[in-house]
Order: sequence, then structure tokens, then C-alpha cells
Amino acid sequence: MGSDRDAGSDAPNDDPVAVELDGVTKRYGEADAVADVTLRVREGEFFTLVGPSGCGKTTTLRLIAGFEAPTAGAIRFGGADIAGVPPEDRDVGVVFQNYALFPHMTVGENVAYGLNFADPPEGVTRDERVAELLELVDLPDVADRDPRASRGAAPSASAMARALAPGPDVLLLDEPMSALDARLRERLRVQVRAIQSELGITTVYVTHDQEEALAISDRVAVLRDGVVEQVAPPRTVYREPATRFVAEFVGDNNVFAGRVVETAGPGGDETTVPATAIVAVDGGGSARRGGAESETLRVGLGGVSGAAGGNAVAVGDRLTFCVRPQHLVVGDATTNAMRATVESAEFLGETTRVTLDWKGRDLVVRTQDPPSGEVVVGFDPTDAHVVDASR
Amino acid sequence: MSPGEWLKSEFESRVDATLEWATPDNEVNYYIERAAAGAGIDADLYVGLTTEDLVRVDEALDDDLFAERGDVDGVADVREGLLFDPFDRAVPYDTGYVSLVYDGTETEAPATFEGLLDDEHAGQLIAQNPGASSTGRAFLLHTVHRFGDPDGTIEGGDGDPDYDYLDYWADLQENDVRVLGSWDDAYAAWSEGEAPMVVSYSTDQVFASQEGENLEEHQIRFLNDQAYANPEGMAVFADADEPDLARRFMSFVLEPEVQGEIAQRNVAFPATDTATLPEDYAELAQAPADPVTFTYDELQGSVDGWVEDWERQYAGN
Amino acid sequence: MGGSKTGSDSTPGTEDGVSDDVDSGGPTAAVGQRLAALADRFDADLLTLLAVATSAVLVVAFYYPVATVLVEAVVVDGAVTLAVFAEILRDPFYVGELARLFAGESPVAVARALLSPDRRLGIVGFTAYQAALSTVASVALGLPAAYLLARFEFPGRRTLRSLTIVPFVLPSIMVAVGFVATFGDRGTLNAVLATVGLPPVDLLFTLEAVVIAHAFYNAPLVARVTTAAWESVDASAVETARSLGAGPTRAFYDVVAPQVYPAVLTGAALTFVFTFGTFPIVLALGGFELATVEVFVYRLVRDLSYAEAAALAVIELVISLAVLLAYLRYEARSSVQSRGVRPLPRRPLHPPALTAREVLPRVGLAVYAAVAALIFLAPIASMILASVTGGDGALTLEHYRFLAQRQRTGAAFQVRPWPAIRNSLVFATAATLVALPMGVVVAVLTTRKYRGRKLVDAAAMAPLAVSGIIVGLGLLRGLVFGVEVAGWRIAATGAAAIVVAHAVSGYPVVVRTVAPGLEGLDRSLVESARALGASRVRALRDVELPLVWPAVVAGAAFAFAISIGEFTATVVLATGADAYTMPVAIERFIGRRLGPATAMGVVLLVVTGVSFVVIERLGGEYRGL
Repeated sequence: MGSDRDAGSDAPNDDPVAVELDGVTKRYGEADAVADVTLRVREGEFFTLVGPSGCGKTTTLRLIAGFEAPTAGAIRFGGADIAGVPPEDRDVGVVFQNYALFPHMTVGENVAYGLNFADPPEGVTRDERVAELLELVDLPDVADRDPRASRGAAPSASAMARALAPGPDVLLLDEPMSALDARLRERLRVQVRAIQSELGITTVYVTHDQEEALAISDRVAVLRDGVVEQVAPPRTVYREPATRFVAEFVGDNNVFAGRVVETAGPGGDETTVPATAIVAVDGGGSARRGGAESETLRVGLGGVSGAAGGNAVAVGDRLTFCVRPQHLVVGDATTNAMRATVESAEFLGETTRVTLDWKGRDLVVRTQDPPSGEVVVGFDPTDAHVVDASR
Repeated sequence: MSPGEWLKSEFESRVDATLEWATPDNEVNYYIERAAAGAGIDADLYVGLTTEDLVRVDEALDDDLFAERGDVDGVADVREGLLFDPFDRAVPYDTGYVSLVYDGTETEAPATFEGLLDDEHAGQLIAQNPGASSTGRAFLLHTVHRFGDPDGTIEGGDGDPDYDYLDYWADLQENDVRVLGSWDDAYAAWSEGEAPMVVSYSTDQVFASQEGENLEEHQIRFLNDQAYANPEGMAVFADADEPDLARRFMSFVLEPEVQGEIAQRNVAFPATDTATLPEDYAELAQAPADPVTFTYDELQGSVDGWVEDWERQYAGN
Repeated sequence: MGGSKTGSDSTPGTEDGVSDDVDSGGPTAAVGQRLAALADRFDADLLTLLAVATSAVLVVAFYYPVATVLVEAVVVDGAVTLAVFAEILRDPFYVGELARLFAGESPVAVARALLSPDRRLGIVGFTAYQAALSTVASVALGLPAAYLLARFEFPGRRTLRSLTIVPFVLPSIMVAVGFVATFGDRGTLNAVLATVGLPPVDLLFTLEAVVIAHAFYNAPLVARVTTAAWESVDASAVETARSLGAGPTRAFYDVVAPQVYPAVLTGAALTFVFTFGTFPIVLALGGFELATVEVFVYRLVRDLSYAEAAALAVIELVISLAVLLAYLRYEARSSVQSRGVRPLPRRPLHPPALTAREVLPRVGLAVYAAVAALIFLAPIASMILASVTGGDGALTLEHYRFLAQRQRTGAAFQVRPWPAIRNSLVFATAATLVALPMGVVVAVLTTRKYRGRKLVDAAAMAPLAVSGIIVGLGLLRGLVFGVEVAGWRIAATGAAAIVVAHAVSGYPVVVRTVAPGLEGLDRSLVESARALGASRVRALRDVELPLVWPAVVAGAAFAFAISIGEFTATVVLATGADAYTMPVAIERFIGRRLGPATAMGVVLLVVTGVSFVVIERLGGEYRGL
């Protein structure tokens, strides 16, 4: 199911909801680790919780697993409230960041542990089930090994096999790759996704790595300070971040804010939704220099209805919008020409990531051949994405 | 055979009854606690009552724990001065004397209390904590009897009103007396030769000769020809189920031959002057010329204070 | 995917999570599954059940009985008052210079007085002082033993490790006998000194003798808990440190010491509390000049001065609990992750090379062995010798013959050796089996994070800190006399009550040995097990306990030892002649000659020594680690 879905599609999905969080809050002392979170994870979906450390993603996972009880709100599995159901009765499989393999058992015993409490599928013996799982995670012939002796991807894969052995309904993965090096991590995430697709198991994946989140998921929930900023397929999150935070957190981005000085609709009529706005942008240095400098940029308003709740944009509104680095074109002075100075350049192979100084703030540009000194950059107004508009 | 065992079989052979001994660790306090808790006494007779026990019982409980002794044959034969209960409940069945026991091959014990303060006896005496040991307490009471207390309630036998038992103990402590915890501690240390004199019982030689020890190493000294007497008595519980049987037992205990057996088996002295004892018993079981003891009235209201004042002086850390 | 877990509507008690011992397939499967579901349900609540049972046991066999006595400190003649406390706290005899503080003098003046050379400690202050000295001595004597037992391999090592706890169970009169024979004027030590031409030492009836005797009891405790921690140090952590360039000494300080240190502190804290409540040994080997608080509690109880006795016991309790609380704060901060993985390799006693690095520690151990032989072995050897020495000084077996004869012909009300041995073993085994789950449950509860958990932890430790004499009196009132409910008097005495009382005395040590290990475990291990379908109790059994197994075995050994050595509660609860134990028998056999008592003491020594070896063999060295 999950594998053949168009990961970029926004189309409504008819799969039944497997896990639902309804207004869930978890409070520790005075602080909300998770604040009024509502999420629906569909059956067979690969759903990722992403955000910086402390955003509440791991707490959310622990709430789903039953290791923590919500302070408020409800969690439902297949529509049934599971408040008070202990973790062992939730039919979840969990893989922890440190794998938590039982050091006093062999890898095989680790994998078999869950079979103490759930029978293997009809006609399959315990040992066969263990072998089958180890085969699935590409770890044949390690059953007798000491888990502490395994290196590389093996602990993570063993933990995966252990979590899957009892046949859970939901797989919960808590940053299972964060301890691995980049190459191994990339290999493993392909494997994880392949296994998930093969089994069609509903999966909730926690990571702080937005790139990983985009690469692996059917849908992504971006969390910040315990609040869900956006839930959408990776492509949408990338292209149409719902908030300034998402825009900045997911991928490289140039975020601008300013005041609308002029709007222009297709008919020039201000009562209809205008197609573009001219924004007097706060210079990055404006805060430092008392806001003396600003420049106007023309911004397309195609995405406003989504971002700003359908309100029309009017002169005087505050507008926040972002432009991806690849959309800032060096040497393009047709629209939104900005004179900037090259600060630094990082060679990334395919492209070079250039950091420019424009009025005391940084602009990030991706280009094939890096410029130097003074440059002009511009962007097409339709490549700008408005993330916030307010009066 | 232990005295308890012997008494049981002898009594049961004469009377159609079963005698059951119980030995609660807290002794009479156990029954005081039972009475205070309203838990029922569950016994007919208490054996092993001292004057001090009676004082404590009467101070602790509003109701009577023990009944009056009533008709007990042989009470008339009890030796003078041993009937320690002014309210005629307890019947004495034996007595012991707390004296000095010393190793004659090491030292010659002094004849008087004052002699213990001599330099030659420095570090030579082991006594016991009067708060926990009955020999220790008897020895302390003996010093009170000898030197008087600071209030002057007890006029000491030494005739010096300005020198009381606490003064004497200060001098004794100065002369390096050892006050250990229990009689067991003290006697064990004495046996190992830690010091040549120990506060113990005047019947020490009876044991020593039974065990074939050198009697020269087990000499008895009555300071000032005195020893503190610790008469032991028995009394019927006020709510005994079988008070008559209990009284019958008391009469039995006072019979001459039973008195003799008790004295020998307990290695003590009979309470009656009619006891049947072997001729040579007195040779080894020595009695002082002048036994001393405090009466119920003298102890009442005073003894706790004497012990406490001694503790405060002796253990002033 | 296929699995037996079906549907996401998983509520406890459905056929999900069928336990491993049920064959689901045959016609009996339905019944089996229902049973399994029931067992599952029970299993899930087992921890709660155990927690409730533990609390109930503590209330019935400890808190309520003790409260019946302690309340007398504040309720005098039916009126609530703090006058008794005020009187004690203002009395320099008890609290020394601090009395001036409670009497209203300025703290500065009191502090100055405390610093002056002729300061007065008071009985309470002196008791704390001697406990502190005893703690230092116990740690100093216990650590080398732990080093030897944890780091070296030699024949009989495991047996020696098992036997380390033996001194812990010896009745004080036995220790007194052994010490007088070893350190007395005519003792072994002076005989040895004389043969090498040194002047004799006059050690007996001094503070030093008391401190050494306390070390005799408690250094084994320090050694045993430290050994358990040291054996749990992960070799790979040391290897990592070494690979990072740390020398062996540096690796010890950086890696080994931090993991061993908490255990040393556990031993030290327990030693302080035990020696703070010391009683008979102080007067037996020191004298009344060195009287401790407990000596006065005993006398006051004996004289039925309950208000003062209870107030003094409360002060004693507060100080002991304060020490435990301070320790618990430290324990929480210092819990070390990762343990019990691969123990450090043991070294041979023979130096493999004649370098200073190899030889010096072994020379140190040889010196230690000589000291230990004098302090631990000589007194025990003296006890054994005393048991075969007659009144005339000749060797004899008459004391053992006395035991045999008493066994054959003893009267019903008399204490006989075999029932004492049997009762001791049965009670200790049962008490250990009760104390272990109690200790583990409390350890689990106190390693969770919640407000006031330190207080719960300290309250759980209270059985260590309350005066034994008060506990004895409380048990008499609370259990022996019982409580009157609706005209029925509910009382508990005899075997079951003794087992429970012993378990209550022993379980705090189980908590203290097990809790640091549990606290150090990565919580995701338990959570993994639970996500895999294990109940909380099952996860405890399958994952946590195996990982802290050395600590569990050490705790079990101490629970057993505490039960074997227990006297006060036993003698109170053993009403009737059939529930007495070996220490009670020893006490009853004490007469003018200590022969029979020492013979019984040697029986105790042998029986407990063998028991410890058996316990630790049953416990296994690492159980799969």
C-alpha cells in the first residue's frame, strides 16, 4: 500500500485511520512537551514526526507506545480509545535510538523475546519465525551472536527484527539511525522503507533529520515546541511550508518579511484576491540599523489562501514569504533584483551553495558556477511562497 | 536437671495437673505490657519476682497485677527479712547474694569498699551496667546502702553525710573500675584474666568445684562483711484461672526438701530456715555475716533516680 | 503481515498476548487461552499487587507496631506534648553543646563551644562520633577485601566471597568472647607481640576495641556490596579508556572508581546506621563510659519510662534517616549507566612479572591479609577454641555433648539445638523469599521519578534506622497482643510472624543493593520488552533482574544473614518454645561458663557459612552474563 502511493500527492486518502491523536497534551511540571496535538496516521502509512530536539516528537512516540500517558486528549488505535492500555497490550513494535538490545541474550533470543507473548503465524515455528525476520532485515546467521558484539547496521537491524517478530499493528521507530554514519544511514533508510512497504505496516518514524524525513515518508508532521506546524506529504512540506518555521527548518530557504505597499490583481481590483503584492522588505540589518533600509520585492500570492486562512492581502499587511535557493537566479535583474556580495561558497558536487550578503542579511543561492564579488540576484514572483500574512 | 524441669516433674507427680513454663524475654515487663494492653495474662503464677519488679509493677499499673498470697503453707518458715512485699503478694522461694569474686592467685580482694579505691586495686574490678544487669544493679544499690544518697533519704552505713554513693563511684571510676554491659560480658572478661575481681554471686565456688576448677581462683569477698541480697519470689496473677492450684504450687515450693532442691539446683540459698540441705553446702555457697537489702518502701520512687544519676555521672560524654 | 496479534482493538485480557506455555491449536485451546488471559491479567497487576502487599506487610509488621511505642514520646497521660523532646534537646547529657542551642543561645556561641577542645558531645553526639569512626574503619577494612575478591582469581575465591558475610550474623556475646581472647591482656595479639619482642597493647575496654568490633561486623558488608559493584564494571569501558590513552591508574580513577564508589557509599551509609544503633557490643568491649543512645533506650524501656525512651528513639531515628536521606540524594545523582556487561578479567595472585606494578598491589594484599587474619579470623578461631575448651583449660567435646544431650533429653519448654537450627534455616529462607520481592518492588518504585520519592525511599529504609529495642516492644504490642476488632483480638505470633518481621528487617538492604543497579539500567530496555508484549513484572524478571543479578544475590545473602542473626524480634514473637532460632538458643545456653553457648555459636557459624555458599552457588556467578 504505502509503496505504490504517490508520495507527493495531496489527494485525500481513503485508507482507514490506524493511529489517531486527538488534542493530545503532555505536561511535565509547568511545561507542555506536547501541546494539543491532533494527528491521523493511516493504515500502512509511513508517517514521520520531524523537528529539532525538544520539539516533542519522541514524547509523541512514547505516548503512542504507552510509555507515557497524555495529560489531556485521546489516542485511538483503529478508532478505539487506548487510554489505560499498557504498552504490552497495544500491539506496537518499538525500535529505540540505542536499539536497547538485551545484552544478556543472543540476537536470536532478542528476536524471539516477543514470541513469548504472541504466537508466530500459523504453521511457523518460533525458530522459523526468528530466522525469517533475521532474513528480512538482511542479517542471516547471526542468531547465536552476542548483540554487544555486532557492529554497523546489525544492531539497528536486529532491533527492527525483534520489534517486527510478534507481528505488531504499528511500528514505532525512534531515531533508529542517528548513531550511524551518513553512508550507512542512507543505505539503511532504503532498507527500512523497503521492509515497511513489503509488510505494509503502519509506521511512525521519529527523526530530527528533515532530509531523512523527506526521503522516507509518505507524510511528515513538523513539530516545534510541542505544537504541530504542518502535516503533509514531503513534497508539499518542501514546496509549500505552512509556517515560517517549517520554511526554515525543511531544506535551505531564504525567508523574507515585510509590509505590503501595493497589490495588483488580475483586474486591478483590490476587493478580489490580488495576484501579486509589492512588499517593502525589512533588511536583515534593519534591526541593527534602526530599519532605515528596505527594498521592495514583488511576490506572487498563489499560495496565500492556504497559508493565511483565505484572507485577502491588503496594503499595510505584514507578509512573510520564502524563496528556495535554487529559485534565486544569479545575474537575473528582470524582477526583484537584489545587489548582494558573495560571502562564502560551499562546493557540494552537483551545485555550489553560495551565501550572499544582502543588506546585512544572508541569502542562500544554489548555482552551477559560483560567482564572486558583487552580484545581482533575482527571482520570479511565482517562485515566492507566502507563509504568513497578517494585518 | 534444671530447677524448672525438676519442679515440673515433681509437682506433676503429686498433683493431677500440668505445669507449663513460659519464659518471655522481657520477664515481668511482658505481663505489665499484657495487662496494660488489656490482652489477658494467660498465666496463673509468676516465678522470679524481685523487690524492684514489684515496685515497677505497682508504679506502672493502676489495677493489681498480682493477688494477695492468701493461704500458703510454709510462709511462716520464711527467713526474717526476706518477705519483701509489704502488700503480702509475693512469696520468696530463694535468695542470692551479690558479692565480689576474685582470683586469689592474682590479687587479694580488699575487706572494705574503701579498699577498692587503693592503688593496688586500680583497674582490677569489673562490674556491670546497673541499667541492664541485676548484679550490676545490686552492687550499685549496695554502694547506695553503704554511702547513702545525695538527698540524705538513705543514710549511708559509712556515717559520713557528706560522702554519698556518687562520690564513691567517682573515686571508683578514678581507680579504673570497668563497668561492662551484662553479667556474661563481665564474667567472660574476668575468666579471660582481663581483671582479677568481678561483681558476681557468692555461690561461685559451687559451680567452680562442680567443674573441677581451682577454687583458689574463685574466691569470694563480702565487702564490709556485707552482701546485697536479692530475694526472688513468686506471686499469683490477679486474674489467674487456677488461683488455688497456684497457691498449692507455692506451698509445695516452700516444703523443706523442695527448698533444698531449689537452692542446690539454682545454686542459691533457700528462703526458709527449714530447708533440707547437705552438710557441705554452706562450705561452698557462702552467705555474708550481714546481708543488706533495700525494702520495697525504700526502693519505691528512689531507685530509678539512683540509677539515672549514676549514669549521668559515669557516662558524661 | 501475518502474526497472531489480530486487530488493533487490543484491550488487556483478549486472546492477544497468549503466554508462551499455552498450546493454541488443540480443542483445549479456548480454555487454555482463557486461562492464559487470566494469568496475563494477573501478571499485569502483579507489581501493583506486590506493592500493596509490601505496604501492608510494612504497616502491620513495622509501622503500626513501632508507632504504638513512638507515639508515647508525644502523648503523655493522654495529652499531646513536645515537652519530652524539649527536655532531652536541652539536656547537655544527651546532646552536648547543642543543648545550648535548643536552650536559646546564639548559634555562634554554640559553634565556638563545639570547636573548643573540652567540648561536650553528649550521648547522642558521642554515638554519632563512634559510628563515624566505625564507618571509616569498616570501609578501610572492607575495600581491600573487595579488591581481592573482585580483581583476583585464586582457588576458593567464590567460597571466600560467600563466607565474607559470616561475621555479620554472629551474636554479640560470641564476638565479645572472641575479641577478649584475641585482643585481651592474655590474648593472641599480645602473645604474638611478646614473641617478637614488642610491648603488649592494652586494647580492650577502649573506643578502639569497639570500633574494631564494629568493623568486624560491617567491613564484610562494605566488602560484599563493593565486590558486587566491582564485578559489574564493564571491561569494555576500561578498555575504551585505555585505548584513549589513559594509563591503568587513570582508567581506574575515571572508569572503575565512579562505578564502585556508589557501592562503597552504600556500605558506608548502612554501616553508619547499624553502628549508630549499636548496643550490646559497646558495653561488652568498651564499658559504660562509651554508652550509646541505644543503651539508654534499653534502660528506659526496662524501667518502663516509655515517653523518654520513645523520644530518644525518635531522635536516633531522625539522625539515621537524615544520613540515609543524604546518601540517597547522592545515590540518585551518581547512578552509573551501563553495567553487568562483561566483567573485568581477574588476575592471578602470583605476580605474572616481577614489576613494581604487579608486585606492589600483591604485597599490599599480603599485609592486608595479615591484618584481616587478626581482626576477622583470630576472634572466630578463638570462639571455636572456646567451644572445645573445658573449665580446666583442657580440650574437650563436652560442650558439644551438652548440645547433643539437650537435643535428646531437653524438656518441652527448653531450647534444643536442632529445632533452633531448623527454625533458623526455615525462617531465613522464607524471610529471604519474602524480602526479595519486597526489596525489588520498593527498588522499582523508588527508581521511578516523582515528587517526594526520596522521602518514600527513606521511609522504606526506616526498619534499618529504628531502634531494635523499640521495634521489639512494638511487635509485642502490635503483633503478640494484637488489635481488638469488634470484640475479636487479632494477634500474630510464631513462625509466620517471625518470617515477616525478619523480612521487614532484611528488605531494606535488598533495596539498597538492587536499586542503584536498576537505576543505572537504560529504561529503553524495559520499554522494549514491554512493547514486545511483556508485562511490567515480566520485563523485570526477564530483563532488569538478570542484568543486576550480582546485586540481587548480594541482597539475598544479606536478607538471609539478617534473618539468621536477628534476635530481638524473634525472642518477642517466638512465644511458646517451638519457634526459637540459633541466636536465641545461644542466649539461652549462656551460663556461668560460655562453653555450651560458644558450641552453639560454632554451629551457627558453620550452618550460616554453608548456607551462604549454597545461596551464592544457587545464585550463580553471572547467570548468563
